[in-house]
Amino acid sequence: MIKKILFIFFILMGWQAAQAQVAVIAHKAVPVDQISSAELLDFYTGDIKLWGNDEAVIVFDLKPKGEVKEVFYKYLGKSPSRMKSVWMKKLLSGEGDPPESMKTEKELLEKVMETPGSIGFVAEDKVTDDVKVLAVITREEG
Amino acid sequence: MRNLIKIIYIHLLAICCSTSGLLGQAKETPLRIFGYFQVNFTQETGTSAGSESTNSFNMQQLNLLFQKNLAKNWSAFVNMEALNNFSSSKEWGAFNLEEAWVKYRGSKQFNLKLGLMIPEFNHLNTIKNRMPLLPYIIRPVVYENSFEDIIDLDSYLPRRAFAQAYGFIPSGRWKFDYAVYLGNSPNINDRSALGQTGVDTTDVFMTGGRLGFRYKEWRMGWSATYDRTNEFGEVNLFFQRPPRFFNERPRLRTGTDFFLRWKRLSWESETIAVNYDEGDERFDVDRLFYYATLGFQASDALFMYYTYWGTEDEFVFVDAQPGIIPVFDLYQGTLKIFVPSLGFSYGLNDRITLKGQFSWVDISSDDEFFKVDFRQNVLSLAISAFF
Repeated sequence: MIKKILFIFFILMGWQAAQAQVAVIAHKAVPVDQISSAELLDFYTGDIKLWGNDEAVIVFDLKPKGEVKEVFYKYLGKSPSRMKSVWMKKLLSGEGDPPESMKTEKELLEKVMETPGSIGFVAEDKVTDDVKVLAVITREEG
Repeated sequence: MRNLIKIIYIHLLAICCSTSGLLGQAKETPLRIFGYFQVNFTQETGTSAGSESTNSFNMQQLNLLFQKNLAKNWSAFVNMEALNNFSSSKEWGAFNLEEAWVKYRGSKQFNLKLGLMIPEFNHLNTIKNRMPLLPYIIRPVVYENSFEDIIDLDSYLPRRAFAQAYGFIPSGRWKFDYAVYLGNSPNINDRSALGQTGVDTTDVFMTGGRLGFRYKEWRMGWSATYDRTNEFGEVNLFFQRPPRFFNERPRLRTGTDFFLRWKRLSWESETIAVNYDEGDERFDVDRLFYYATLGFQASDALFMYYTYWGTEDEFVFVDAQPGIIPVFDLYQGTLKIFVPSLGFSYGLNDRITLKGQFSWVDISSDDEFFKVDFRQNVLSLAISAFF
């Protein structure tokens, strides 16, 4: 009996671990429907600044540290401190601006909703129909 | 290569065609003013004859930056720098206009900068004066702007250019970078009696560029510049060549840069070789610079490193007229500077960084007439702030 309970417990734990955690969201009008981690990194490092339709890419970040931010940055393959130094280099070289950081996921979601060409990330359960989901990062992917 | 030329051509055409419609698509932003400075305390302890011990505070560097997006795809940037406790009334330090350029952002493959700029050469050149980005207090010697009074930094590096095209071509996770630029030759008028100081007095350009690639946390590049220099004009006194024979001698500077990060460890290194075509086998000068840094990111805030950097200036001078200056009948030697250092940088917060560095300075020359044997230990502490 105990073995069965443990088995079910571990199955549930495993299932929970594989759950989608973070959604990469964008303004409804962006000209893509999905995005790879390499493309996402190019946007967040400022290496690529335009969408395919020549519209400026505007990236938003989340200020507070937390699981959502941790999963997202792991997916990018860069630590928050490394990304900060990339942005600092762009800023001090006159090559670009760091992303605007939002205090809450709700604020970030609203900002993406109302800013054409914008992209950001929130927990998947916070996504609404007013934004486009370009990728879903599971905890394991992250 | 043909594709690259086509991309550059299309973009140049696009710039010309789009200029008339600029106001209509203008995306102007307010002028932003920001900057950073670094103040240090240095204790030098002499460890050889003639090497003295000193203590000093120093406002090492302050940069004021101005940035503005002028229109869609166009931005402007100005960088002004004050060095070494700058004071015009006391004639301390220096104040320099380092950069003032406009940039056209065409695409990832093509960007164009016009105006005064620091050109791409190895990796450190363009960021050498961005103190908040660097863990060092005393930078690898040819990048240390505050040593400008002591070392001819322009011999090693292209420090100014006036037009640069650059960008990258992506291929999966790989990115292939390029930059090509044009600037003045190093023959700049600095004698106010002759009028219009700061301009090139010769009919030659400095041309240069960098090719490189990036793959995840790995980066490599090769750089080169070609120009003609008057720096040996005076030596004709000893060789009886036609007047101006040693003027505008060709100079080739080549560089390599390498960076690799693996987990918390990083390795960064560069070399620069300066070769001249002196035109006379009795006279030869070559310069070499190298540096390498092994870094360890102990935490988000703390970075520790071991670095060493050095220069080697080889000099051969065979006097064709013995007796003019007897000791110069044969001068052959190498002036070496070698400086290993241990250091750290600690980010107190997003804007303030504390730094510490301990260096062992060793300067020597193996020539029998100009013996140099100078050793000194240098302890530096600094605070760097971004505002």
